[in-house]
Amino acid sequence: MIKANLQLDAKGLACPMPIVKTKKAITDLEEGQVLEVQATDKGSKADLAAWASSVGHQYLGTVEEGDVFYHYIRKGSSEPEVEKTFEHTVSLNEIESRDGLILDVREEAEYAFGHIEGAKSIPLGELESRLEELNKEQEIYVVCRTGKRSDMAAQILAKNGFTKVYNVLPGMTEWNGKLTKEV
Amino acid sequence: MSNKVAIIAANGGLFDAYKVFNIATAAAASEKEVQIFFTFEGLNLIHKQAMHALEMPAGKEHLTEGFEKANVPTIPQLVEMAQELGVKFIACQMTMDVMGLTKEDFVDGIEVGGAVTFLEYAKDASPTLTF
Repeated sequence: MIKANLQLDAKGLACPMPIVKTKKAITDLEEGQVLEVQATDKGSKADLAAWASSVGHQYLGTVEEGDVFYHYIRKGSSEPEVEKTFEHTVSLNEIESRDGLILDVREEAEYAFGHIEGAKSIPLGELESRLEELNKEQEIYVVCRTGKRSDMAAQILAKNGFTKVYNVLPGMTEWNGKLTKEV
Repeated sequence: MSNKVAIIAANGGLFDAYKVFNIATAAAASEKEVQIFFTFEGLNLIHKQAMHALEMPAGKEHLTEGFEKANVPTIPQLVEMAQELGVKFIACQMTMDVMGLTKEDFVDGIEVGGAVTFLEYAKDASPTLTF
C-alpha cells in the first residue's frame, strides 16, 4: 500500500467524472501532499497524467490491482523557485561512486515509483522526528525531486549536529541511472 | 497558450449532448475558461424539459443499456456539474426568437447573446469546437 494524504473513490465512474472529482478533491490538500485516486475507468490513467501535467501537479504513477487503478498525484506548488542555500552540495552523477547513505526526502509515494537503489526514504515532513534512524558518523547525501526539499532537509540535519551532509543537485528529475520501484 | 475553450453546440441529440458536456467539464476541470454557445437544436441541451429526454440517433437505441452499464452521468447531471465548474452557457437570441422560447425555458444561470458575443469570446480561444 502506498502512502497518500487523501483517498478519492472514483470507482465505477465514467469519463469525465474521475477528472472532475480529482480536481475537487485536490483543493483539500496542501501543496506537496499526495492524493490517491481509485478508479475503474480504463481511460483514467492517460487522462489523469495529462490533466496533472496541464494544471501543474505531479503524476507519480499508477498501481493496478484487479479491475481497480490506484493513481497517485502530488499537488503542485505555485511557490516561486527559492534559492538553495545549503553550501555543501554534490552532483547527482557523483553519488553512486561515493560511500555513505543516500537519503531520499520526497514523499513515500514518489519514492515508491522510483528511487536510487539503496536509498533510504524519510519524507521531509518526518525528518525531525526520525533523526535517530541516521548515523552522524556517516556521509549523508540528501536527494529530492529538484533539490529544493533536500536543501531544507540538509539544513535541518546540520542544525541537529550532522556534519557530513551534502545536498544532491539537481535531483531525481535528472537521474538517468537505474530506478528501483516498490510498487 | 490560450486558457480559453469555446464550444458551439448546434445539434440536439443525446450523443451531441455528451460530446459537448464531456469536453466542457473536462476542460473546466483542467482550469480552462469555457463558454458554450447553444444555437438551433443545440438549445435542447439546456432546455428545462428537453434536456431530460434527448434522443438517441435512429438505429442506436440499443446503446441505452451500454450507457447504463458504463455508469455514464445523465445530461442534467453533467449540465449541473459544468455550471458548478464555472462553464458559461450562452443561448442564441436569434434561435430563441425563431422558436418562441424565453430565458425562463432554460436552466438557471444562462446568458442570452448573439453571434458577436460568442465571436468576441472565441477570437483568442484555443481550441474552438463545434458539435
